[in-house]
Amino acid sequence: MGRSLFRFVDRLELCITYLFCFSLNLIFDYVKTLSLDSYILKAFLESFVDHQTLINLLFTFIVVVFHYQMLHRKKTEIYCRILVGDILFNITIRYTLECLTILGLVYLLLIVINVYLNFNLTSNLYLVCIFVIYILISASQVGKYEKF
Amino acid sequence: MKNFKFFITKIFLRKAILSIAMLLLFFMANYTIFTAARSILSTFQGYQEIKYMDQEGTYIANLDPDSNIDIDAIVENGTQIVYDYLNNNLKYAFYTDGFIVSLPNNDDMEISLNYMNEEYYKLNQFELSQGTDLDFDYQLDNNKEIPILIGKGLSKTYPVGSTIKIEDPVLEQSINLKVHGVLKKNAYHSNFYALNSKNYYNFSVFLPVNEDFIKHANIDLQLNGLMDVIILQTTKEKVEDLSEIMKENLGLKFNFFSQKENYEYFNEYYLHSLKIISIITLILLVIITGLSIWSALVSIRLMLKDFTINLLVGLSYSKLRKIFYSYYGILFFLNLIVVFFITAYSRYGCWLRKDATFVTYGVFGLIGMDWFALLVVFIFDIIIGMIIVENMLRKIKKVPISLGVLQ
Repeated sequence: MGRSLFRFVDRLELCITYLFCFSLNLIFDYVKTLSLDSYILKAFLESFVDHQTLINLLFTFIVVVFHYQMLHRKKTEIYCRILVGDILFNITIRYTLECLTILGLVYLLLIVINVYLNFNLTSNLYLVCIFVIYILISASQVGKYEKF
Repeated sequence: MKNFKFFITKIFLRKAILSIAMLLLFFMANYTIFTAARSILSTFQGYQEIKYMDQEGTYIANLDPDSNIDIDAIVENGTQIVYDYLNNNLKYAFYTDGFIVSLPNNDDMEISLNYMNEEYYKLNQFELSQGTDLDFDYQLDNNKEIPILIGKGLSKTYPVGSTIKIEDPVLEQSINLKVHGVLKKNAYHSNFYALNSKNYYNFSVFLPVNEDFIKHANIDLQLNGLMDVIILQTTKEKVEDLSEIMKENLGLKFNFFSQKENYEYFNEYYLHSLKIISIITLILLVIITGLSIWSALVSIRLMLKDFTINLLVGLSYSKLRKIFYSYYGILFFLNLIVVFFITAYSRYGCWLRKDATFVTYGVFGLIGMDWFALLVVFIFDIIIGMIIVENMLRKIKKVPISLGVLQ
């Protein structure tokens, strides 16, 4: 942890972005279970629910923004760590593991909420896959900052 | 302009991910507002349209939800007995639509025949772009021409004065129609029970019906006409008697709601729904605006050095503010174009699908409510743009120039 690229604020920010994307999916699932009498309300909500996957995918872009700005801000730190003897491979692994841990914890929290609300557990699995892909892509970018 | 070009190409576009994120967030905000504004306006238009019911002594028939339609259970001449009772004792507005007929036209659309009686015609006051009002006192015999109104989409193929011969689906015989008038373009009718949903009359034919016509029509027209029949200038006791007669002869239970009951129902049902839509939209907008500000501040974090270097070499804060406004202006403009094209595509899709009840005329098929919703989006964009730019500048001003350059 001591050698992590993450500070408390970064961890919090990543948690919030993951939570936001999962919660959005959860809200969609919840809206689908509502039996509304009002046609207007139903039509309005359907215009969003019909595009649930697309909207979720668009919002996952905030996670891309997080990874992008995180690495950009840390480029000096990565370079300095390598200067003082750290290895790029270890930095990348630590970064990947930390992102995956935060994702895992947030997903666990969502599983608990899904079980509590009796929702389908697999409905947000595709988001986990997408986030893992984002993590792997951003981890592959760590090497870019080996040379300052 | 030089500064602006430099900022766009050398600063903003160098971190394209941030610009794309902003574009996506603004798109979602714009689309949410567009959908909400259009829903609210469409409902409001429907609400205005049914205001004619807001009169003392008006009752609207409504089939009881527990009543199932079983045509076999309807006694012989049952519907005619009900109409005889209506003709002798009450004043009623009759309207039914959706009877499809094959009628050649330039756009190759399916034509819907709509039937209405004189009372309904008076209540709605259809606006005509050409021609004269309908005459309901015609005789129904083989050679006589029935005066009709047509939608704007049919006016080129069938100008005022032309005659049309059709196989009428409710009379089940050939009749001759004479075009008396053309409705204004995009004339519409809102559904009683879904005020935000509209049927457009651009490819419709309006047939006036009188007692004789209803008498000779098949049970489909007679029964459909009773489903939403509006009883005018009457009392609760009289409509209860009518309900009894309908129950005896049709085996169906009809409820009749007064103007006051309808008004309360509409107020409770629609205002409540509109309030919820507004609240949901507001919450979504707050979230998206929050995310946009977060994304803008992230941009500041990453581009602070570039901004402060430019400030150091003589760029003033007011010029920087102008550059930011121009940059976000371009992003909003791109989003407005996308929303515009999505709407135009969905309107044009009705023409491609030959969906006659939804096709509309307008610039790229867009009608008044679409333009209104785009205007709301435009106003929102100005507000959110101001919030973001001022926040960015506040953040930049907080950092001393020397410290920013060192970053």
